[in-house]
Amino acid sequence: MLSERSPLSLRAAAIGGLLFLHLPILLIFLYAFTTEERSFQFPPPGLTTQWFTTAWYDRPDIWPPLWLSLKVATIATSIALILGTLVAAAMTRTAFFGRDQISLLILLPIALPGVITGMALRSAFGIMDIPFSVWTIVLGHATFCIVIVYNNAVARLRRLSGGIMEASADLGANAFQTFRHVLLPNMGSALLAGGMLAFALSFDEVIVTIFTAGSGAEAKTLPIWMLDELIRPRQRPVTNVVAIVVFAATFFPILAAYYLTRGGSETAGMGK
Amino acid sequence: MTTAVTFQNVSRHFGTVKAVDGVDLTIAEGSFFAMLGPSGSGKTTCLRLISGFEKPTGGAIRIFGEDVSNTPPHLRNVNTVFQDYALFPHMNVRDNVAYGLMVKGMGRSQRHAKAEEMLALVKLDAYGGRKPAQLSGGQRQRVALARALVNEPRVLLLDEPLGALDLKLREAMQDELKALQHKLGLTFVFVTHDQHEALSMADSLAVFNEGKIAQIGSPQDIYDRPATRFVADFVGSSNVLPPDLTRALGGPPEWASLRPEATRLAASGPVSGPVTALRYLGSGTRVVLDLKGTEVAALVPAGQPVPAEGATSAIGFDPKDLHLMGAA
Repeated sequence: MLSERSPLSLRAAAIGGLLFLHLPILLIFLYAFTTEERSFQFPPPGLTTQWFTTAWYDRPDIWPPLWLSLKVATIATSIALILGTLVAAAMTRTAFFGRDQISLLILLPIALPGVITGMALRSAFGIMDIPFSVWTIVLGHATFCIVIVYNNAVARLRRLSGGIMEASADLGANAFQTFRHVLLPNMGSALLAGGMLAFALSFDEVIVTIFTAGSGAEAKTLPIWMLDELIRPRQRPVTNVVAIVVFAATFFPILAAYYLTRGGSETAGMGK
Repeated sequence: MTTAVTFQNVSRHFGTVKAVDGVDLTIAEGSFFAMLGPSGSGKTTCLRLISGFEKPTGGAIRIFGEDVSNTPPHLRNVNTVFQDYALFPHMNVRDNVAYGLMVKGMGRSQRHAKAEEMLALVKLDAYGGRKPAQLSGGQRQRVALARALVNEPRVLLLDEPLGALDLKLREAMQDELKALQHKLGLTFVFVTHDQHEALSMADSLAVFNEGKIAQIGSPQDIYDRPATRFVADFVGSSNVLPPDLTRALGGPPEWASLRPEATRLAASGPVSGPVTALRYLGSGTRVVLDLKGTEVAALVPAGQPVPAEGATSAIGFDPKDLHLMGAA
């Protein structure tokens, strides 16, 4: 090893910082098993798995928000995959006046605070008389999902030598054959990674959703349902059970995206 | 003799940049044709005009008599060996070579058999299952060659195909390319900025300068009788004499070229100057004189006396070896 060992104090501080960040997540898991249902007390007076059964059998109010979140994330990701890839192709394969400025505009939704995006969309929907629905939520989510897909697609397209597209045409392939046999196989893992990240981000989005979802029960996504549950305590550990589900639904796609783009120059998660 | 490729007053302008400007060119079938020139001289654009990746903004291009000015690349019966090889990184070598046959709809076993045949031709029989990333530069170059040749193109275009190889490999590949071209009887169009490569490999070559052809001819024509100062300078090794020096040496007041082999040292002459450099070449010694501010090299054959550096000498030559040329 060329590097010296860092001083003990620095290592202790680093470990302390990591623990401070990640221990609360373990507490979320722990409280899903507590026997105390009104307040989170530490240490838990006893451990039980009853809340998993309760969540599954006795709480029909969990299912509509869960389905809504899955639906929104799926549609927003699909839109992002199509539009994000097309924009990335346009940005890397052609040169036109104002390209750099437009590229900045595409990246903007990820840099803007969610409140700003949310307010802007809400007032735009108001002016255009668009009633709040699943589709307004989807639109809100798509704004940042597109950026995620775009970032991954652009990084991959830049790394691909433009020559292979020309080589394909030179060997007699038409545009569709080049897309199918050369571009898609080389873009696949980047698009999968981008899509999974976009899905994960959409699935647990709160701020933009609050602004674009209206107020009815039919507009309650899973994270918003959880927020409500914490304010109105009743079978509190059930919320933690749902939290574990959300954790799994977002963590594993992000982990997979990390491994898919590892070793490349991809900016998988950048921002958010 | 049939012509493989014809350019008729072909231009390719990018806005105000005239990458190719009014080029007339005929490439004979079965010949090894080189396009030589410095970077930015238009030689690569000319190659891309033949492959179809560039469209002419003026003039007409014919391949075996057929006007292809508006034919897209995938419908032309020409194939390219790209400078960076552009192999498909996600396919193994066999699938790379078979790609052109696959997109034409040939069945798997048949196209793989043909690909293996081609790989044998470039001496890569055992490499079909490897990925391009597992090959050396020279091997990738052969794969690119096999991938182009398997389509049986009527013209093979090579864009600086040896540029990325080290010197020894490059020389070996030069011989091999030449032998392959001879064996297949195909028309090869070869782009290079290396004058030795062009002179030693081509049957005929075009020297490009600023989008135009400065001279077109056999290697010997171009070496012995450069048409312009630019050609003499670029192809190299010839002495380039400015008009006043040409006149002082007994010629007309024009730019001229004089090969060092045709130049001998003389005790006295109309112009003399100091010896500024000596280089022993084995078969002789190259002596450089400073004549009125122009460096002029003479080749002194082995066994003849060589002046010391700093000594004053004059030159002599047979007047028929003085080659007059344009100033451009």
